[in-house]
Amino acid sequence: MTGVRVRGCTVAFGGLRAIDDLTLDIPANAVTALIGPNGSGKSTFVNMVSGQIPPRGGQVLLDTDAVTGLRPDRIVHKGLARTYQVPRVPKELTIDEVISVPLLYARSDRPLPGGARSAADLARYCGLRPEVTTRCGRLSVSDLRRLEIARALACRPRVLLLDESMAGLSLEDTDQVIGLVRDIHASGVTVVVIEHVMRIIARLCSHAIVLNQGRLLAEGPPPQVLTMASVREAYLGKGFTL
Amino acid sequence: MNRSLLTRLGLYAAIAAPSMLLVATDQPFLIQVAIGTLISAILALAWDILSRTGQVSLGHAAFFGIGGYGSALLTPVLGPVLGWAAGILLCGLVAVLLGAVTLRLRRLYFTIATLSFSLSIQVLILVTPGLTGGSTGIMPPVIAGGSPPLQLLFVTGCLVVAAGVSDVFLGRRFRPAFFMIRNNPELAAASGVPVTRLKILAFAVSGMVAGLAGSCYCGLYGYVIPDDVFTTNWNVLPLAVTVLGGMDTTLGPIVGAVVLRLLEELARQAVGGVGYQVVYGAVIILFIVGLPEGLAGLGRVVLRRFRPPGEGTRIKARLAS
Amino acid sequence: MTTAVIQAVLLALSMAALYAAVAAGLTLTVGVTRIINFAHGEFVMLGAFLTYWLYTRFGLSPWFGMAASGVALAILSAAVYRGFLARVLKQDEHNQLLATLGLSILILNLAIIAWSPDPRVMQAPPLLPTLNLGGVTVPGNNIAVALVGLILFVAMYAIRNYTRYGTQMRFASDDPTLAAHAGINVDRVFELSFVIGGAAAGVSGGLVALVLYVQPTIGVDLVIRAFAIIALGGLGNIPGALIGSAILALTEGLTSTFVPQGGSWGFGIAFVILLLVLVVRPSGLFGKQAHP
Repeated sequence: MTGVRVRGCTVAFGGLRAIDDLTLDIPANAVTALIGPNGSGKSTFVNMVSGQIPPRGGQVLLDTDAVTGLRPDRIVHKGLARTYQVPRVPKELTIDEVISVPLLYARSDRPLPGGARSAADLARYCGLRPEVTTRCGRLSVSDLRRLEIARALACRPRVLLLDESMAGLSLEDTDQVIGLVRDIHASGVTVVVIEHVMRIIARLCSHAIVLNQGRLLAEGPPPQVLTMASVREAYLGKGFTL
Repeated sequence: MNRSLLTRLGLYAAIAAPSMLLVATDQPFLIQVAIGTLISAILALAWDILSRTGQVSLGHAAFFGIGGYGSALLTPVLGPVLGWAAGILLCGLVAVLLGAVTLRLRRLYFTIATLSFSLSIQVLILVTPGLTGGSTGIMPPVIAGGSPPLQLLFVTGCLVVAAGVSDVFLGRRFRPAFFMIRNNPELAAASGVPVTRLKILAFAVSGMVAGLAGSCYCGLYGYVIPDDVFTTNWNVLPLAVTVLGGMDTTLGPIVGAVVLRLLEELARQAVGGVGYQVVYGAVIILFIVGLPEGLAGLGRVVLRRFRPPGEGTRIKARLAS
Repeated sequence: MTTAVIQAVLLALSMAALYAAVAAGLTLTVGVTRIINFAHGEFVMLGAFLTYWLYTRFGLSPWFGMAASGVALAILSAAVYRGFLARVLKQDEHNQLLATLGLSILILNLAIIAWSPDPRVMQAPPLLPTLNLGGVTVPGNNIAVALVGLILFVAMYAIRNYTRYGTQMRFASDDPTLAAHAGINVDRVFELSFVIGGAAAGVSGGLVALVLYVQPTIGVDLVIRAFAIIALGGLGNIPGALIGSAILALTEGLTSTFVPQGGSWGFGIAFVILLLVLVVRPSGLFGKQAHP
């Protein structure tokens, strides 16, 4: 079974091809790492798959459903949710209200993970300590990251794309989020993480996909992929941490 | 749910009570002032509903005028109830079209486009004298047989309806989604919100509520010329009233309308008929500098200061420490 | 018939130069600060009154009046910016909008109280000789307006594109945060753009006194046109404003001349054109188009 298939997709900004005739498969029911040096097209990949920037050609399939060219909210209904690296939520809304938006609008019969039934359950599931009536303007960065994951989970996704959800978190917070991602995966959600820190990838992911200049450079189990000569070369001098 | 419904009904009663009082006292001047104030409150509520999706309009005079002209011209054909309904629906339809056209426009372009739209509509009236009377205006059927106390009751009813509509869009289903669209439309779409549809819905509802205000206004005296309803004053007023009263609330625009009208009447006494609007300008500037979140923002600060911390929060604070 | 058309076109073009003068200052300010400055119209109105008073009271030439208005409005703009608008820059869009509307309403009504709402006409002798081209005559004042308008316009363009401050303005408008990190005093640049915009408003006020009437509400009429013009041309795009002015002045002028009773609504047609343009090009004719 396949989580996401990408077939011959291209996204170009002016003359620059951020995604260049890309074809790849993301396996279902796995935690896949999407890695690559800066500017390799990772963020564009997420924007493309989630419908924010539709590809110029090719096809994106969610399992067997074609989602190419659908509006982002339609793609959410089909079962693909994403998080944003820098979550900009309205600061006057409460935790509860933010999570309630997808609960109200992304209707589907898929269950919420961890047996959650409400926004408060999801907040707790994602390790949000403040009261659900807390306004987002008063949340810390790590709580905003957790809220962003909770918001994405409230979309009841089959496939969840996490865009650097652990960047800038303390070691302790990172461990908690790793635990959370494992739980989400265990509840049957296909997870894709975009990450820079190789230590996290080695601990969390069973599969890795490397992009370079908008193309697929390598894929396979993380330990093998990370030691490949071509991957090391692409990263050289780009702050490669192992 | 039941409690919040009770609170809301209490609020509507509180909105309606002063009007009842005025009707009872039978003061013709005060009743006229009250009618005007409530009409601007309805228009401001309409503006606020739209602004909750981040669409800052400077063209609501268009809907105000279309509503007034629409219901005035359709009432003789369809009767008062259907005529008003059709006039207001026409506003909704025009609002959907304008919403679709301005959907892709960013900030300043949106504002300029809405302003241009209201000027264009005025031109449309002027070039179709056969249908709309052109610059000579029209004679709409008067509301409530022209009796000011009854008109005040009617307009109060319309304001309560507008407040109810505003509250629906401040409810759980729309408020968070609207604010998310305003603040970060991509995040809203990534949360499954049909952004375009909701923005156009807000436009349609806002246009219809503004049309209701215009219908009330045109039905007051039985005579209206284009300059009465399409003047830029009706474009600026809802913005001023809402920002002064407090955005994103139902009470804010209503309180703002009352306060602004009060100041206007005081100024008319002090300065006289010409140039009394100087007070508008001064009040707006003072508010923007001193109270950028309006009276509602001031109210929130005062409440926070005087409300003792609840028992529940204190216990939790101890647990956390 | 042809002479009438040429005559109307020439007069419309001199109006276009006037509009361009008003719009060029405005688009410079708006392009940098992203604030819709409605009070720009009142600055123009004040410039018109100053030029008018200087001529009628002291017999000073309108040439001098224009220059004096430019200086006076530059000073007033600096005061308004420091005392008021600088505080508004960090507030939400609707507050910014209301702030400049409030300022506009305040100045307009003060002018009405001080000088009455009645229109005045400055009956100064023409600044330049009347041009006569085989039956087509263009009054000298219209030629003066066209000349000064174009000079003002070119000056705005040159300031923005060929001076150190202009470079800083463009930088500060693209990304204020980054510009601040690069050592640019963004507040100072914003103020400067206001001051230059104000000076342009003052000079164009002098032009208004030459060919139109002097009246408190003249600023409102002009600023609404100026907004349509800069949206047509693309916000912050100075050459775009020139094209926008020509489109607006020609539609307006030709409708008023050749359509029966077109005078009362001729300018409305321009707004219909603006809406149509924005449907096709959401950032105006020459504005940078955003990513879809």
